[in-house]
Amino acid sequence: MAAGLDQLEHIVVLMMENRSFDHMLGSLKAVDSRIDGITPHDNYSNPDTNGNAVKPQALAEFQAQLQPDPDHHFPAVDLQIFGGDTSANRAANMQGFVKSYFNQQRDVNHSQKIMYYFKQEDLPVLTNLALEFAVFNRWFASIPGPTICNRAFAHYGTSFGRVDMNPVYLKEPYQSVYSRLINAKHTAKIYYYDTASSTMEVANLLENQPQLFGTYPQFLQDCKSGNLPEYSFIEPNFNDHGQEAASDQHPDHDVQAGENFIASIYMAIKGNAQLWESTALLIVYDEHGGIYDHVVPPACTPDFKSASTNDTGTNMEFKFDRLGVRVPAILVSPWIAKGTIVNRVFDHASIPRTISKFFLGDFSACSPRELSADVFIEAKGQNVDPARNLLSLDTMRNDCPDFE
Amino acid sequence: MAVIKVPEPRGVIDPNRPVNALLKAQIEHLHEAERALPLKYRSEIYIRAIQTEGEAAEYIQEITEAIHAAHFEAEEKRRRGAAKRRGKPVISIAAVADERAERIARNRAAAKKSQKKSPNTKKSKN
Repeated sequence: MAAGLDQLEHIVVLMMENRSFDHMLGSLKAVDSRIDGITPHDNYSNPDTNGNAVKPQALAEFQAQLQPDPDHHFPAVDLQIFGGDTSANRAANMQGFVKSYFNQQRDVNHSQKIMYYFKQEDLPVLTNLALEFAVFNRWFASIPGPTICNRAFAHYGTSFGRVDMNPVYLKEPYQSVYSRLINAKHTAKIYYYDTASSTMEVANLLENQPQLFGTYPQFLQDCKSGNLPEYSFIEPNFNDHGQEAASDQHPDHDVQAGENFIASIYMAIKGNAQLWESTALLIVYDEHGGIYDHVVPPACTPDFKSASTNDTGTNMEFKFDRLGVRVPAILVSPWIAKGTIVNRVFDHASIPRTISKFFLGDFSACSPRELSADVFIEAKGQNVDPARNLLSLDTMRNDCPDFE
Repeated sequence: MAVIKVPEPRGVIDPNRPVNALLKAQIEHLHEAERALPLKYRSEIYIRAIQTEGEAAEYIQEITEAIHAAHFEAEEKRRRGAAKRRGKPVISIAAVADERAERIARNRAAAKKSQKKSPNTKKSKN
């Protein structure tokens, strides 16, 4: 029996910006030791440029601490993961975060701030959702690089060989998850915040399929009226404009504004009882933004294209055969048992993989990376493996929290 | 059922914050998109002069709305053509299209007026 899956009609993905797992959720290890975060007693550290060991500390601030924006382009992330080792047989050690941040301002004290994480009470929305529903211990960015190529994995299951911010996808072989759904007479929408924030998917989707897009107010209205599409992808506000604060949590935007935004998405779904029982909400971050995490990203199936040494800027080719740094990811549904911890490995290719399998069945016209990605929601049917089904409750919970 | 208080953000909304690398990339992508737009939908904003989030937002809004409007206009034209071929009246559809075009023009004029008032806005010919 999989009552939650049987009820499931809508999947919503909210993708925030540039924060690592340890930075946002690391403090929860002190509450639940199954959550792979950090405590003051752990031996995790990074060397600074004076050779001193810098430990993670719960001193993160909502704003004005990570200036300049920590570098998270491919060469910088390579340094962060491998500690500066560029030899052929190098092993990832997560020892280069402080060194990388030092490179931007040449200030030893300032470079140590890259190790800071938030206290649980600083982030009441994100930490409560993590403790109340399912938190993923092993959700990684798809690429050890910046935003646009990582977000591409959420839309297409690949970045078509790109490790940078310049998408050229038009003649590529794999469809976006939205085209797949719409071609099969399903419904899908990308909700950007407003036209002054717009989307990060300009080069293909906005230019060629603007009808896919709606706004945040429209999302709220669609939740209220019960008109949410089967699949919704939500983009936060990417800039301060007018009376609107950026809500993406990208440094140096206000983390509390992002907390409010996440709460509003959750409450919009929960505010419609019919929608609440038939919707799963994934909250995930696109990449770590150069901020420390202690878990070494694992290897993965190589993709169909490589990035050249010129593209990576590291004198090394990249075959898309390992993941980026770990990011926060939480799955919300009243059919998920409180305190669910997921230890399987995911990356953003899991998003189109899950959506396609759930709504379309056995969809195989996708990239090698997407084909090998795990799903976070099982397909409906008779043969659901209870050990993999996160919406596992027989009856819906009525104790889920409200935010106000 | 627990009710969890979410603190109001204490940060200040700062449209004068310098644009980050992500917004720079978004502006570049929109600028590429702008080049493909019909002339009447193009902006007069010189993207190399955009320095702040407020200026970025202004450009992002203008081009995003222009992309939507250009697609909308093309779709209406297509519909009108199809209706004409079928010999059906098209007045109501045309009226809706004109109304939208007028609204966009009104919004743009209003935006330009408010930009002139703002000392932070830098505009020049592209």
